Amino acid sequence: MSVIELRDVEVCYEDLKALNGVTCSIDGGTVGLLGPNGAGKSTLLKTLLGFNRATKGSVTVFGMDMPKNALKVRMQLGYMPERESVSPKVSAVSFITYCGRLFGMSRVDAMERTHEVLNYVGLGEARYRKMETYSTGMLQRVKLAQALVHDPKLLLLDEPTNGLDPQGRIELLELIKEVAGRRKVTIILSSHLLPDIQHVCDNVILIQGGVVALAGSIDELTAVVDRCFEVRIRDNKDGFLTGLAEAGFTWQDQQDGNLFVTAPDNTDPRTLFEIARARETQIRHFRPARHSLTEIFTQAAGKE
Amino acid sequence: MPIYEQTYRHYEGKMRHGFRWLIVIEQELRVLVKAKPFLLLLLVAMIHCIVRLLQVVAFDVVIQDPNNPLTPLLNQIKGLMVSEQMFFDFLRLQTPVLFLITLYAGCGMICNDFNNNLMEIYFSKPIRWYDYVVGKVSSLVIVGLMLTAVPAIFLVVLHNLLVPSMKVFQETWTWPGEIIGFSLVIVLPMALSIPAASALLRSQNYAAIVIVMIPVAASAMATVLQGVLDNRNYLILSLPIAINRIGEQLFHGHVSFHLNWRWSMAHIVGVCVLCLWIIIHKVRKAELAT
Repeated sequence: MSVIELRDVEVCYEDLKALNGVTCSIDGGTVGLLGPNGAGKSTLLKTLLGFNRATKGSVTVFGMDMPKNALKVRMQLGYMPERESVSPKVSAVSFITYCGRLFGMSRVDAMERTHEVLNYVGLGEARYRKMETYSTGMLQRVKLAQALVHDPKLLLLDEPTNGLDPQGRIELLELIKEVAGRRKVTIILSSHLLPDIQHVCDNVILIQGGVVALAGSIDELTAVVDRCFEVRIRDNKDGFLTGLAEAGFTWQDQQDGNLFVTAPDNTDPRTLFEIARARETQIRHFRPARHSLTEIFTQAAGKE
Repeated sequence: MPIYEQTYRHYEGKMRHGFRWLIVIEQELRVLVKAKPFLLLLLVAMIHCIVRLLQVVAFDVVIQDPNNPLTPLLNQIKGLMVSEQMFFDFLRLQTPVLFLITLYAGCGMICNDFNNNLMEIYFSKPIRWYDYVVGKVSSLVIVGLMLTAVPAIFLVVLHNLLVPSMKVFQETWTWPGEIIGFSLVIVLPMALSIPAASALLRSQNYAAIVIVMIPVAASAMATVLQGVLDNRNYLILSLPIAINRIGEQLFHGHVSFHLNWRWSMAHIVGVCVLCLWIIIHKVRKAELAT
């Protein structure tokens, strides 16, 4: 049974169709929800939570219809919202305990779990301070902790690295990766930051204009492209390119200074090294080319 | 590198279902009692309770004893008698402080949750809008009753204990009902209108200003109308005066205008229903966006 099943889901905000016939299924693992701003990622997460009601189609989470079974589903689900959420006058301990109690835990259990998850997300002694004194990174950790306090089976993370510095971002992504890997929690991570998705997720769903533009595993989508190579040469670029043209290769300049070279049929890649030697230059970087998520994202977005 | 596994355990305890609003009440009260201004206002309200306690003790212990040397002195003080009127005055005089306390506790109650984006977090948990609304409003009602009905009933019980006689009991047995009734009439409009303003406006300061200005404006209009048209019944347009009218009816006091008390009650109920509708409408919108 799929963890999440969406069939032809349509969600409207008055006249605007935020989701326009989304069909997809998520069986587990870590799924990246990609898309530009306003594509419908947050709407999709809110539909899974039962905040939005589908005007058409069906949404099932853990085999239960949404939003009919919203309360039952929410018992097994943790949600980390995109926007900064803070209860300024209380400490993180008090806030997370309250969240635990809203799930139905006893006061003692909720307090115990609070300290466990706050240790886990790495919020030290600051947990006893009022939340109005927290940095953005600390607030993100508190948001993650409140989503984990009841030991959910499904975690919905909406732009979890928003506003974090590079170090904080890496730490949070590692934490998310760990939750997915060791805790076997199904994670849906919504982001427009491709490196975040690539770092954490196994699968990706690209949403564009309220529809699923692309879905699949990252490994499959970024598979090696046949007869294509990434090449960087030391010098004499013009001579090398002339040699490539004579041998029937085609190429494209890449932003990082590398060349994206496509070999003609039945050509041995070693020919490239021979051309370099003949043109008195050296190949400093050579590897079979893969589609990057950026390319896939750009292509899919372009099609729309 | 930690020598222990830095993780969290699977939760194996039982989750309780239902009555989530009790948790909301508990949390609201927990946050309130940690706020110093709230405690200060509570202290002011308690001073009045202590004064009334001394009044009851003075009346029951001293005045009832003809041999007490203080009796002639205390007998000269009018209004020292323990009567229905005393309890009506007690509840009436508690109202301004209670209003300030409710204003402090309630004007940021909902708008701050909206401003701090907490609604999304709360409603991602298994709670419904009614748990949230009942929890928030009930916490204000509890605070209100703790400062009106509870001390007043305590004073009635004390009065009966200090002067244990059938006559006193027969005189006072209806008072707790009257006290609870009037306390609810005072507390409910406050406990609903202040969160309603909080739900309607995005700033607690604006909510406080609006909630102060509306009764003031209505009272001013009522006074002007009754002066111009020479008809005291127009006083019903003022919510505080309508509340007072119910108190006068319940405690058999002198009535400030002769329009049937049911009209005053209808005014109060109307305000409460409108406020409740505003709160529910706003909170449901947060729970269910589309």
